[in-house]
Amino acid sequence: MSAIYTRRHLTNIFALVMSGVATLIGLAFLVWILWITLQNGITALTPTLFTKITAYADQGGLSNAIVGSLIMDLMALLICAPIGVLAGTYLAEYASSSRLGASIRFLNDILLSAPSIVLGLFVYVIIVLPMSNLTNGSISFSGFAGSVALALIGLPVIVRTTDEMLQLVPGTLREAALSLGIPQWKLTLQVLMRAAFSGILTGVLLALARLAGETAPLLFTAFGNNFMTVHPLDKMASMPVTIYQYTNDPNPALHAIAWAGALLITLFVLALSLLTRILFSRKKVSYE
Amino acid sequence: MQATSAEPLARDTEHRSRADARHDFIFRILLRCCALLVLATLLGAALSTLWGGREVLFKDGLHFLFSADWNPVEDQYGALAPIVGTLVTSLIALVLAVPVSFGIALFLTEIAPGWMRGPVATAIELLAGIPSIIYGMWGLFVFVPFMAGIEPWLNDTLGNIPVIGAVFQGPPLGLGLLTAGIVLAVMILPFISSVMREVFQTVPARLKESSYALGSTTWEVVWDIVLPYTRSAVIGGIFLGLGRALGETMAVTFVLGNSYNITASLLMPGTSISSSIANEFNEAVGLHRSALIALGFLLFVVTFIVLLIARLMLRQLARKEGR
Amino acid sequence: MNDLAAATAAPLTGATAPAKIKVRDVHFYYNGYHALKGINMDIPEKQVTAIIGPSGCGKSTLLRIFNRIYAIYPKLEAKGSIELDGENILDPSYSMNRLRTKVGMVFQKPVPFPMTIFENVAYGIRHHEKLSRADMEIRVEQALRSAALWDEVKDKLKQSALGLSGGQQQRLCIARGIALRPEVLLLDEPTSALDPIATGRIEQLVEELKHEYTIVIVTHNMQQAARCSDRTAFMYLGELIEFDNTEKIFTKPGKKQTEDYITGRFG
Repeated sequence: MSAIYTRRHLTNIFALVMSGVATLIGLAFLVWILWITLQNGITALTPTLFTKITAYADQGGLSNAIVGSLIMDLMALLICAPIGVLAGTYLAEYASSSRLGASIRFLNDILLSAPSIVLGLFVYVIIVLPMSNLTNGSISFSGFAGSVALALIGLPVIVRTTDEMLQLVPGTLREAALSLGIPQWKLTLQVLMRAAFSGILTGVLLALARLAGETAPLLFTAFGNNFMTVHPLDKMASMPVTIYQYTNDPNPALHAIAWAGALLITLFVLALSLLTRILFSRKKVSYE
Repeated sequence: MQATSAEPLARDTEHRSRADARHDFIFRILLRCCALLVLATLLGAALSTLWGGREVLFKDGLHFLFSADWNPVEDQYGALAPIVGTLVTSLIALVLAVPVSFGIALFLTEIAPGWMRGPVATAIELLAGIPSIIYGMWGLFVFVPFMAGIEPWLNDTLGNIPVIGAVFQGPPLGLGLLTAGIVLAVMILPFISSVMREVFQTVPARLKESSYALGSTTWEVVWDIVLPYTRSAVIGGIFLGLGRALGETMAVTFVLGNSYNITASLLMPGTSISSSIANEFNEAVGLHRSALIALGFLLFVVTFIVLLIARLMLRQLARKEGR
Repeated sequence: MNDLAAATAAPLTGATAPAKIKVRDVHFYYNGYHALKGINMDIPEKQVTAIIGPSGCGKSTLLRIFNRIYAIYPKLEAKGSIELDGENILDPSYSMNRLRTKVGMVFQKPVPFPMTIFENVAYGIRHHEKLSRADMEIRVEQALRSAALWDEVKDKLKQSALGLSGGQQQRLCIARGIALRPEVLLLDEPTSALDPIATGRIEQLVEELKHEYTIVIVTHNMQQAARCSDRTAFMYLGELIEFDNTEKIFTKPGKKQTEDYITGRFG
């Protein structure tokens, strides 16, 4: 009898200790990766990074990549935020129980984890190739194509959060507005979206954090550019792609610049998710 | 019986109603079009990569899938090496990430004191927020040398076991399938553990309490009550992680070594579908480019199926809860 | 106008005032479940009609048919006719805007819109009427005064309505409803989420508003029905059991079930 107890007890202790070890392993990798990024990034962080373009290679900086990333991230948001918010609204307000709504919601969740490199190929086939054919090759890869690819990464994030946030808005708010004779479209845009505003904004920020770190979809859409450009139909440099190219280069001086860029991106993404958390916690207070 | 107030109201409710109905209709159509764009994206991604890969698919057909000969110089393209590389690295990632994720979920739902749960869970989720290119850099500059250091040891220990020994034999390059698999494991760990954690929390307290009341240990409650109750969702979470691992590009491209040789050893360099595309696409022309796009089609179809299974499994638990 | 009502013998009434709403053989189905079984009643004009009954008896359902708010959900179906000033509002050709401007509704929980106090009241008006700024200010003030809220909020009209107390929010919702100058006001357990003092104020307000509006109030609180209504309807299991002067219902109920409910034997 007591042998059974001892064995069960020991099994239990062993399992609990192993789960603690597993958690430590997870945390150790987080600390390891962040520490390496911080260590290598900070030593390479110089003002030239922000003033010089990548054409000077190891004597240069990342200014064109920073500008390119900002432009493409912003354009991507401008494309996916309105579409995503409206699509999420459709799911929450018009199709919450319909079969079409259920399938779109389901497939949106799949798009959420679809391989980003394939979305890059998709944009290559539907935008880069046709543009190149139309203009006899004078326009091919472009910042615009890159933005569309990034928008496809952000879209499902925004659709999902908008859908969830609108479903949290109490149904009585809809009834109250409808009982005043307010039509559905006005109620949706002016009452419900206002009530769910901080939640929807959270989704947009989450999408930005997600797409700002993406490399694969940009490789064959925006390509890259060693010079500064703000024209959306030019090939455009971006932080992730530049980091990718510099890491692949044998020159250690370029590795240092890549680490500095990596640190900047990581800080940006982590700061965004922090901001998102703050917004989200405030939301719970203001609207029950 | 008219209005309660003396002054007449400046209303034309009939006209207003017609206008409202018209605007509602337009708004609804606009919203539906936006929602349909989600479907269009998935369908478009499948069709466009199929179209882009048509040359090689029509030329070689099924041979494309089963040929190991990838030779741009002779314009021969067989996808077997990238397919095997993708499957092997993802499998390694799952084998490593599933137990660790389970441990983390167990720790966070049953063991950790209350004050610790939130911060630790947030920290683990931060792993998912780190851009994959950072994993790639860390993998190449830090983890590859680290692995190069322990691979001779692997050769001497696991490598001497009969039958499976060959898997752990090889030059201590640091690069290779095993390294890529480990990096992938770290990447997918937060996804699997957060799904597990969420579904473990859905187990009704009365189920667990009644088992504790019979004298079960924490481990027995988890193994006999929590896991069976959440089985489908746990499998869903694992498939979700698998879907991520299959499609990941940047974290593995640097550490795989880009080799089209298929070997039994996990310590040898290899390639994967996504890293082949990333490495070669911008230099590729003609049939080569078509072959890479066809690889993209393949990857999309496989991940779609895996993610479809994941979501279906996850939905089963939601149904059980009556959500 | 009310000759017709007098001529029909069927509806349960005891009314002396002319009927504003005539409910004729109304049935209601949720997903096929028969929730209301042939309701007939005449709701008198400019009086307070209370509907009481145990939960699930269909009292809220009945109220929600009076402005067809149920129609926003799928799989709900109402049959029969409800005449408002002689026109059947269940007829699809009866315009929704006309109905909703004639019949206002206040809900169980106060639901102010996420806007300023002023905008909360002005929002509904703006959709139906084009008013100058000055006229709008007058209308908003009138509505807030009628809802006995003006003195408390006149200095903070530009502040968010979410900052008001529960009782103030509920009076704001009443103001929002009467700002459209409806003829009928539906109150769906308007005080169930409020404290006793706020409840008292709302009841007092109902007393004042009945001079201008026909009021129908659903309540699970029998004392409330006794205090502020002229006529009381008792419903049970989807049927209208008894409908009479409030005093009579609470002192000499005609039916056994009503008596059991009033005396607290069930419910």
